[in-house]
Amino acid sequence: MAEALLELENIVAGYHNQPVLKGVSLDVAEGSVVMVIGPNGHGKTTLLRCVSGLVSLSSGGIRLAGTRIDGKRADRIVSDGVIHIPQSDLPFQDMSVIDNLMMGAYLTRARADIRRNIEEVFDLLPRLAERRGQTASTLSGGERRMLAIGRGLMAGGRILLVDEPSLGLAPIVIEQIYGILTDLKANGRTILLVEESAARATEIADRVHLLDDGRMIWSGMPADLLKRPEILETYLGG
Amino acid sequence: MDTAVQIVVSGLTLGAMYAVGTIGLSLVWGALRMLNMAHGVLIAIGGYFSYQAIDGWGLPMPVALLVAMLAGAAMGALIYFCAARFMFRNEAFENNIFIVTFGLAIALENGILKVFGGYPLAQPFSLDGGFRIGGVYVPWQNVLIVVVSVAVMVVMAQFLAKTRMGRAIRATAQNRDAALLMGVPIGAVFAQVLAIAGSLAALSGVLLSSITTLSPQVGFDPMLKAFIICVIAGLGNVIGALYAAFAMGLFEAAIQFFLGVRFALPLMLLIVIAALIWRPYGVFGKKQVTRL
Repeated sequence: MAEALLELENIVAGYHNQPVLKGVSLDVAEGSVVMVIGPNGHGKTTLLRCVSGLVSLSSGGIRLAGTRIDGKRADRIVSDGVIHIPQSDLPFQDMSVIDNLMMGAYLTRARADIRRNIEEVFDLLPRLAERRGQTASTLSGGERRMLAIGRGLMAGGRILLVDEPSLGLAPIVIEQIYGILTDLKANGRTILLVEESAARATEIADRVHLLDDGRMIWSGMPADLLKRPEILETYLGG
Repeated sequence: MDTAVQIVVSGLTLGAMYAVGTIGLSLVWGALRMLNMAHGVLIAIGGYFSYQAIDGWGLPMPVALLVAMLAGAAMGALIYFCAARFMFRNEAFENNIFIVTFGLAIALENGILKVFGGYPLAQPFSLDGGFRIGGVYVPWQNVLIVVVSVAVMVVMAQFLAKTRMGRAIRATAQNRDAALLMGVPIGAVFAQVLAIAGSLAALSGVLLSSITTLSPQVGFDPMLKAFIICVIAGLGNVIGALYAAFAMGLFEAAIQFFLGVRFALPLMLLIVIAALIWRPYGVFGKKQVTRL
């Protein structure tokens, strides 16, 4: 078992003194894909926002490679290597595709290999290469999601936090997005992924956690989840 | 024909000054959602620093312009470090900073009054002479104003489009959280934006006072017009603000010529009312439309 790159220890967090996460713990091993699933409004997005520093913790702690990152400013957490791809408001709408990718390489670390990284992103996401001069607001939903992933990859980083990549997309586009995530996994990327549905868990995740009302109520291997029809039925609609 | 030339010359001169003054206000709104009520006093500070640098310290005009812009930049940065940085994460930021900068403007205006007195002064940043286009006399000072303004706007456009800092400012204006998630230090961007806006306001103050006079309230009227231009263009729309500034300059010159000076401001305010009724997001602004 590889060492944990990201560790969440009993974190409590929320908005306006209302806790959304009520003591969540999980580990993400280096090079693995960990998936957090659960119904809408039960804290999945908040969990990622805590890791990337957009939401402050009330208690608990978050470590990246053994070093505490909770309490740090969000931009410092990014420079530590945590890259967050949010579920909405993805690209900078009035910027071109190429300018969005350049923003992904804002950090000094990422700027060193900017040309090579752009070519790698275009190899992985050829649709973006075709749209390179186009303004982000003119892209389709799926293309915008691809741009957000490409922009995240430009930043380099040690772990990718991906928030509901299939949200609101057509099945064929979801297929493409998961193809990209599977490629990233094959390249050894560490990914913490949240999704409402468990449908994709078996094909990509090494470990699955079920988040309900701000608490982890089940954790295990994806294959074990499929053996628990009552969980799938109760929490994820079968 | 001479009438048209006269209106174009006056309109371009006014438009150039308004454009320089408005870009800063528009940038600050776009990036911080902050209506900077101290913008007018930053205009005055630019004018007075130029006056002091030339008449008091004997510096040449280009250096005096630089001194004025640096003073404006320093004041802008001070507004961030002394006020905005403690407030911008607060939900009531827009209201709070409006009141704070309003108070700051009153304090600084009284400071200028204390140091330089209330009598109007002549801005020494000026060129003598001129040339004729047909029957219209065009002062070199007007040409200087247009050239300096256009040069600054070209530099600003390149800066925003091509540089890392410019891209970070545009990104922050479009989506603050997303910019943070790219590692952009938002606080530093806000300080840079206020410093840039301060330097542009100061430059506009030097140019403006060179064709009027220098007084502690010299920035009030251009600040009001900068707000008008920002609303017409769409708040935070920098490129739209440039077009709107020149359009308003030409409009004002035409109204002054045909109806008289006193009608210019009321008619500009009428345009604002019309814009707010029919295009509340501005003539150059866009409705928020998202493709799914």
